[in-house]
Formats: sequence, structure tokens, C-alpha cells
Amino acid sequence: MSNNKYKILVVEDDPNITSFIQAVLEANDFQVLTAPLCRQGVLMFSSHNPDLVVLDLGLPDMDGLDFIRQVRQTSMVPILVLSARTEESDKVTALDLGANDYVTKPFGTAELIARVRAALRVTRHSLQAAAPGSIFMVDNLVIDYDRRQVAVGGKLVHLTQTEYNILALLSQHTGKVMTYSAIIRAIWGSMDDGSIKKLQVNMANIRKKLGCRPGDNRYVTNELGVGYRMLDE
Amino acid sequence: MKHSKQLLPDGLFTLVTLLITFCVILFLQNLFDSRTLTPMIFVLGVYLVSWRTQGYFWGIAASLISVLAVNYAFTYPYWAFDLISPECIASAVVMLIVSTMTGALTTRLKQQEKVKAEAETERMRGNLLRAVSHDLRTPLTAIYGSCSAMMENYDTFSREKHLKMLSSVSADAQWLVRMVENLLSVTRIDSGEVALKKQDTVLEELVDSLLVKFRKHYHQQTVQVSLPEEFVLIPMDAILIEQVLMNLLENAVFHAKGMQNLWLRVVIDQNMAVFRVEDDGAGIPEEQLPRLFTSHLTGDTPSDSSRSSMGIGLSVCSTIIKAHGSQIHAQNRPEGGACFYFALELEDTCDVEQ
Repeated sequence: MSNNKYKILVVEDDPNITSFIQAVLEANDFQVLTAPLCRQGVLMFSSHNPDLVVLDLGLPDMDGLDFIRQVRQTSMVPILVLSARTEESDKVTALDLGANDYVTKPFGTAELIARVRAALRVTRHSLQAAAPGSIFMVDNLVIDYDRRQVAVGGKLVHLTQTEYNILALLSQHTGKVMTYSAIIRAIWGSMDDGSIKKLQVNMANIRKKLGCRPGDNRYVTNELGVGYRMLDE
Repeated sequence: MKHSKQLLPDGLFTLVTLLITFCVILFLQNLFDSRTLTPMIFVLGVYLVSWRTQGYFWGIAASLISVLAVNYAFTYPYWAFDLISPECIASAVVMLIVSTMTGALTTRLKQQEKVKAEAETERMRGNLLRAVSHDLRTPLTAIYGSCSAMMENYDTFSREKHLKMLSSVSADAQWLVRMVENLLSVTRIDSGEVALKKQDTVLEELVDSLLVKFRKHYHQQTVQVSLPEEFVLIPMDAILIEQVLMNLLENAVFHAKGMQNLWLRVVIDQNMAVFRVEDDGAGIPEEQLPRLFTSHLTGDTPSDSSRSSMGIGLSVCSTIIKAHGSQIHAQNRPEGGACFYFALELEDTCDVEQ
């Protein structure tokens, strides 16, 4: 029955883009609601309570960032932002405001569906991660939260405290892009001029220890100038 | 900014020119015992000042000083001001008019040169636009044609035919996307409003992000990467540099005929990171090498190149690297194939952004 389907709200002003997103999502067994304007989107959000929101940042009536602010006051529903290349700085702001992920226009349908699925999984993950004795797994990487141990392909990897904390933080937000500032605030508490470099150096060490090569990062992808994301499959 | 910087040299130039004029007149007076040359030489001095300095100010100042100097030193009564006699006033007025007009004329000349230079950039932009519009038309025609053909013959076309046409539409659209990305990069630099967003970028992350994107489109082509072992931070506009590298890799995929290997190498040489994209394909025809990066801007592209996006891609590369204060080069490798390389400074010497 259609009631079991995930409900997705698409807030996008261009009718052609809306129609193709709707077609693709419906073909993948999602139920789709559409809103061409931000205000309408907010109304539909509160009345229909969707499982995920696909949000275009450049809407005619209101800033898409305001939509995120309003929704985040009451709900932790995953938000997937569609951003054009001219809105690069907005992208980071959107993520910092609580958006889960972004897709840069123009995007392929496969990419969109993959991001939607990942964002829907994130909510399940973060519920599990809170439980004691839990273990995180992606590919052949295993993180044991209780023992604070990381293993790749069954072999223990020796990480420093900071490196472990970063990796654990990313794994607790699997699939979500964590901005530099969000990671820095969570790990070091405050941000100063050198913190991004500090984070980058730590990430470089983590990659080296996990045996990642450029173009073949199986666990953590880097989003240039934005942040990092733990892959979830 | 520009004016205050120019103020001191201009003032100094005016002073020195007038002093020299003064000395020359004194010298000539002793030589010929005649005063007919005096005003002429002063006009010459004023002309020089108006010509070499910015704006009207120094020209007019020089002409006023000259009038006073002629009045004081070279007309009767000598070495004293005589501002009352009608002859003196008349000569002063004539002198002022002559010098002001000279000043105005040279200023206008300078403005004309500026306009000319602007017209040149405008022409280059026009050429780029023409080339682009020409390039855009081809895939758009194909997309439009395929779509209407499919709509009109929806039931008669076989499934395979539909899929084949759709995949060509998709390929054309992707090509358009790349073209627009390139144009966006150029306008971003050209507009001057949005300067480069230089950020310290981890080399390894840049290359990783690049390779992920490259693989998405060209999974059949492997890129052999060699990077320095150490942690390297390079100040750059990462999105634009990523685009440069992407263009160079794509360029190899499309144009290096018979290519087996594609390399991306980065080495640290003193204070520079040198990026090299090399292939072992057919190489670049010698006669194209000198104008490889500029042909689209100067308008001398062969008109038959229906898919010359790579030409535009290369001019975009060159523009981006120039905006980073460096230069991109192309050459043929002695062992065959082409090599594109550019160097970026590791540490920003003038750190304005921070």
C-alpha cells in the first residue's frame, strides 16, 4: 500500500525539474509531494510530515536557508539541498544550518536517488549509534565505539585520540556531509585560524592509516572546501 | 588609489620639466640674444607635462607657472612681475589657452587609447561568444531534433531506437553542461566582482575529488597518479583548478588519438607545485602549439570544428591559471604524446584573502 512508502517533499520552483525529480522518485517507489514556493513548502511540511525534503536553494519567494531554519526548529527530518554552482557559499551555510547533504545542479538521476536513499538511512543510523555496545561497519572498516578501536579488513589500525574522535564523529553522521566548522566545533570546541589545517592534517593521517589512495576513498569522501562525509555502503 | 600613487612622480616630472625649460631658455637667450623663442619653448614644456602626466591638473599648473615665469623673467620689466600692462595680460591669456588646449588634446588622446584597449577586450569577448554560440547550436539542434522526432513517432520507433536517441540526447546535454561550467569559470574571473576564492587546499583531496568526478564520466580510462609523499597545502581556488585538471584530462580522452596511458603528476619544486597531465597519444600538431590556448579569443579558429569545446576548454585553463598568477604550457613529449603543465605557488606571498 502507498501508506508504507517514504513520503518526500520536493520544494523546487522550476516545473520541468520538479516533474523529472517526481518521475524518478515515484519510479523508485517513493511518494512525492511538490511545492513550487517556500511558503507552500513550509505549510505542506507541517501538514504532511514528510520523511525527507528535497530543497532548491534558489526559490523566488523566500530564501531556501530560511526554510531550513524554520524546519529545524521542530524537526530533524533529513533535508537534501539542490544547489547551483553560483551558490557555493550558501551550500556550506545550508549544511551548517542542519541540511544533511547537497546535490550540485546539474545532477544525474542515479546520483539523486543514491543521495535520497543515503539520507533516509542516516536517520536510522543515528538512532542506532546511540545504543551502547554498538559497532559501525562500512566496507571492511569496523569501528568499535566501546573499545574505541578501528579495524580495516580485520587488522587493528592505530589512531591517535583526535584521529579516532574525528572518525567516530563522521561515522555517527554517516552519509551526511560534515562541514569543517561542524567537525572542529565537535572535536576541539572552538575554531581559530589554524583549525582547518589541523583537521586537514589529521584527515590526511587517517587516510594514510586506513590505506586510502586518491580517487579510491572507500570510507571517507572529501567535499572540497566544504567538509567530509563517511560513506555508508 | 591610482591617483595618489601617481601624484608624486607627476609633480616631480612637472617641476623638473619646467626647470629644464627655464634653463634652456636662459641658455638660448644668451646664445641668440633674442626672445622670440621663449614662449615657444615654454609651450613645448607644457606640452611635455600634459602628455606625460595624468589628467588636466599638472598641464594647467605647468601653463600657469610658465605664464608667470615668462612674465617675471623674460618680458620687460625683467625679473619683476608686471601684471597690469595689456600686452602682458594678453600674452598670458594666449599662453594659457594654448597650454590648456594642448593638455586637453593629449588627455583626450590618452582616453582614446584606453577606449581602444577596452574595445580590444570587448572584441575578444565577442569572438569567444561567437565561438560558444556556434558550439552550442550543434548539440542543441541534435537534442531538439531527436526529441521532436521521438514525440512525433512515439509508436512507430522501436524501443532500441528510442533508447539510442535518448542516450545521444543525454550525451549532448552532458556536453552542454561541461561547456557551461567552463563559461561560468571564465565569467567569474572576468567580471572582476567575484575574485578568486583562494583557500588552502590539500593536494591529495583535490586530486581525490578530481578523480572521483573523472571516473564518473570516463570509467574506461584509468589515470596514473603520482603525488609527493608529504602533506601539501596549496592556496588556490580549488573549484577552478579542479576544472583546469578536468579539462586537461578530458582533452586527452577526446583528442589524444591512440592513447594508452594518461598520467597526472604533481611534484614539488622549491616553492612551487608543478602539475603535469601527460599522455602517450598522437601529440599536438606543431603548428597549433603556439596558439593552443588563445585561438578562441583571437577568433582564428577553423570554422569546421563543430566540436571545438576543447579549444574553449584550453582558453579557460589558461585564463584560470593566469588569474592564479602563473602560466600554463603545452608541449609534445620526446617519447610521443602531449604534456600540459603549470605551476602554483605553495605559499601566498601577499595574503590578502585572510
